[in-house]
Amino acid sequence: MIPRVCNVLNALKNFEKHVLQMFKYPPREFALAYDYDKPVQKTTKKFSLNDLIGDGFLLAVPKFRRTVEKRWKRKFGSPEYIWKMLVPKTNIIVCNKCGHYHENGRLCGNCYKIVEEETKEIQAKIQEKLGTNKPIENDVIVLYDGDQLPEKPQEFWQGKRVIEMKKERPKWFSKNLLQKTTQAPSDSKDVKPTDLA
Amino acid sequence: MNQADITKLVSKLRIKVPPTHRRLRNPLGPEGRLNKLRKTVTGLIKYERIELNYNRADEARQYAERLISEAISHGDCHKPTMEIADFWLLEKELVHKLFKVLVPRFENSSSAFTKMYKAPKPAYARAIEKTILELKGNPYPSLTTRQPNNKLLLQNVLLDAAKYDYRQTKYAEIAEKMSTPEETKNPDS
Repeated sequence: MIPRVCNVLNALKNFEKHVLQMFKYPPREFALAYDYDKPVQKTTKKFSLNDLIGDGFLLAVPKFRRTVEKRWKRKFGSPEYIWKMLVPKTNIIVCNKCGHYHENGRLCGNCYKIVEEETKEIQAKIQEKLGTNKPIENDVIVLYDGDQLPEKPQEFWQGKRVIEMKKERPKWFSKNLLQKTTQAPSDSKDVKPTDLA
Repeated sequence: MNQADITKLVSKLRIKVPPTHRRLRNPLGPEGRLNKLRKTVTGLIKYERIELNYNRADEARQYAERLISEAISHGDCHKPTMEIADFWLLEKELVHKLFKVLVPRFENSSSAFTKMYKAPKPAYARAIEKTILELKGNPYPSLTTRQPNNKLLLQNVLLDAAKYDYRQTKYAEIAEKMSTPEETKNPDS
């Protein structure tokens, strides 16, 4: 309703202006002089990505938002599967022999490294002495330099392969920890027991 | 009633045997698995102490135990046992070792013939579980130490006794001190 009324009003106003201009009203002295530019006709071009990017290229970007659960699982892991947070171990104990830390229920790393080295040496020695393709019929006894043969009956020595390690017995691989390394001279004629352990 | 006593048919192992065997994935299938285990058993009998992955060690251990127990119970004049030994030991000089060295060693033992330890693991890495498998009575240095702070050790028993004696004398002294002032007080009152 209102637009129609406005149109009619506008038409009336236009008519009034034209009629008044016919009678040269308002007078030209009141007019302002200014440059009148004809509006340039805009050339509407179709939008294309090529104009925007030119020589460059587009990176792949996420299309949708990731949920909080998914983000946190990626960040911290899941306790049931792989838990990525640092968790303190409570099963670390001190080795009674060397004092290094190791996991409970496992061998001590430091002690094992030493024993492993010695074991491999002895194994190599045994294989070297044995040669190849000879039937293995005897048990092995490992003797180091300065080791005294234990006093055993002759039968004990029958059927034993004695492997001599050409070096001192390592201190930690002791046969008998109760044996004294130095002995004071004494006149007593008591016979001391040997090889108790 | 005519059932055979199963314990006499199959040697009872002294280790825990799981209800099913491990499949130990191998491109050759079950045959490849057995070949792998034969190598391991041979190595164990040969070297007496080897380091292996846990699964392979635990699986091979059962076969090694069975082999030794068969050898002990039947001896080397039993044909099936000899065939088993021939199958499991790839190096034939080890068949001699089995019957002439290991059988006398384990004849009178009442526990398992092998021992398995868990190998140390690196602190900050994902590593496969390794184990050390060994025959008992081997000539190598021991992997474990006897617990030095055992309360049953002679030194600790003696120390405990000494502590007890010391405490008893102290208690006696205190009791004496407590009783003497009362005696002195009593006549005054």
